[in-house]
Amino acid sequence: MAQRPDVKIECRNLSKSFLTEQYTINVLDDISLDVRENEFLVVLGPGQCGKTTLLNCMAGIIMPDAGKILLDGREITGPGPDRGVVFQQYALFPWKTVMDNVGFGLQIKGVGKAERTGIAQRYIDLVGLQGFEKSYPHQLSGGMKQRVGIARAWANNPEVLLMDEPFGALDAQTRYAMEKETLSIWETDKRTVVFVTNNVEEAIYLGDRVIVMSCMPGHIKSQYPIDIPKPREYTDPRFLEMRRLISDDTELSL
Amino acid sequence: MKIVRALKSKLLLPVMSVGICIAIWQVLHLIIGGEFLPSPYQVYREAVRMFSVKIGGNTVWMHVYYSLRRVVIAYLLGAATGLPLGMYMGWNRTFDKVVKPVFEVLRPIPPIAWIPIAILWLGIGEGPKIFICYVGAFVIFVLNAYTGMRYTDPLLIAAARTYGASRRQQLFNVAIPASMPSVFAGVQNALSMSWMCVLAAELVGAREGVGYLIIQGMDMYKPPMIMVGMIIIGIIGASLAAILRRFERVVCPWRRDLT
Repeated sequence: MAQRPDVKIECRNLSKSFLTEQYTINVLDDISLDVRENEFLVVLGPGQCGKTTLLNCMAGIIMPDAGKILLDGREITGPGPDRGVVFQQYALFPWKTVMDNVGFGLQIKGVGKAERTGIAQRYIDLVGLQGFEKSYPHQLSGGMKQRVGIARAWANNPEVLLMDEPFGALDAQTRYAMEKETLSIWETDKRTVVFVTNNVEEAIYLGDRVIVMSCMPGHIKSQYPIDIPKPREYTDPRFLEMRRLISDDTELSL
Repeated sequence: MKIVRALKSKLLLPVMSVGICIAIWQVLHLIIGGEFLPSPYQVYREAVRMFSVKIGGNTVWMHVYYSLRRVVIAYLLGAATGLPLGMYMGWNRTFDKVVKPVFEVLRPIPPIAWIPIAILWLGIGEGPKIFICYVGAFVIFVLNAYTGMRYTDPLLIAAARTYGASRRQQLFNVAIPASMPSVFAGVQNALSMSWMCVLAAELVGAREGVGYLIIQGMDMYKPPMIMVGMIIIGIIGASLAAILRRFERVVCPWRRDLT
């Protein structure tokens, strides 16, 4: 099967199930999906529909039971610095300052301290955390922690960014601000992004394309290209129409 | 007003609590009678006397020095062997499975239960005393290092993996620093335990040390002397703990606001 040149990630017939003591849960059921180069793809779905599992498979943190994922045509066999992950629970290193957290990936790569600090500083500035370089994560608010998470992922210069409900734990106000900034960071420094969320508005605001997932077992229900130019307005009639369309298609319960 | 309040909580309350304790002690002394419970004043007089004479050929300070020296040697040996062992048990599942059963059986044996065998093996000099303290500290070092490693947030390890961290980098850049708070809890407990053990060891045949002071008090039937010895033990134990807390704040700066 020849690969189209603009496809960055290709998921082919992914399946994954978890065993509990009594029964097997099919978390992913035969998922096939292409993510294009520099596309901002949003995976939307209710809780427990396997969207995080899908993302973790792309990250290589967990392996699918069947099917495979190709990145630039090469099969993913484990985690790697070519894919940066932004975690819902931030996953910052509590013993490292903001500067050292953002520079972590570079440190692992063996980049020298001077160069590392320079790059990290650029991303700290980009996410608006100048002045907090020496702070520790527990001294920051949730929104600021996630800015560190984003800066850390971006600073490592990955080809793909995987964002797992990154703003799920934030209050609504902070969430709007973070969505806006994520877009502006993405516009400044374009990457392929796969963004998982359970929030319809967030999906339409950010996505070039929205994939709607459904539960039990997790599968792709439908997908919507969003053709509204960015930055988008929540009150734009096209936005509202899209929102109605996708909401009707989503099981928000569960 | 703020200064007054700060002084109140920093100075007044501790002074009050000590004062009340001494008052209760005095009352108990009056009820029970001087034979069994000397009064605070008698103990104070005894302390003054003890610090001005030699007991068993050594000043009180020398006795403290002997006890501390045993503790420090045993404690450092315990840290040097216990921490790496505990960390490696927490990190490597296979190693854990091999070592754990042996450790689980040795762990519940109280350090003082080692005294007879320690004397048998090492004679009656410094050896057995240091050994007893070592056993006490070692077990706590192992346990806390182990717990710290085992309870490292798997998400942090996953995060490190997404940056391409090798197994070695995961250990040194994530698991070990993440286990530091637990290790430090152990660092403090191990010192307390070591300090308790040295006294137990000294109660059984020592010619010097704070434990010897207490035994002397008992042999000469001098309750105030026993109590002075006990108070010295308490004060030194508390001071050691305070020094280590300072040390933790330097080594784990990210925990500064938490404690």
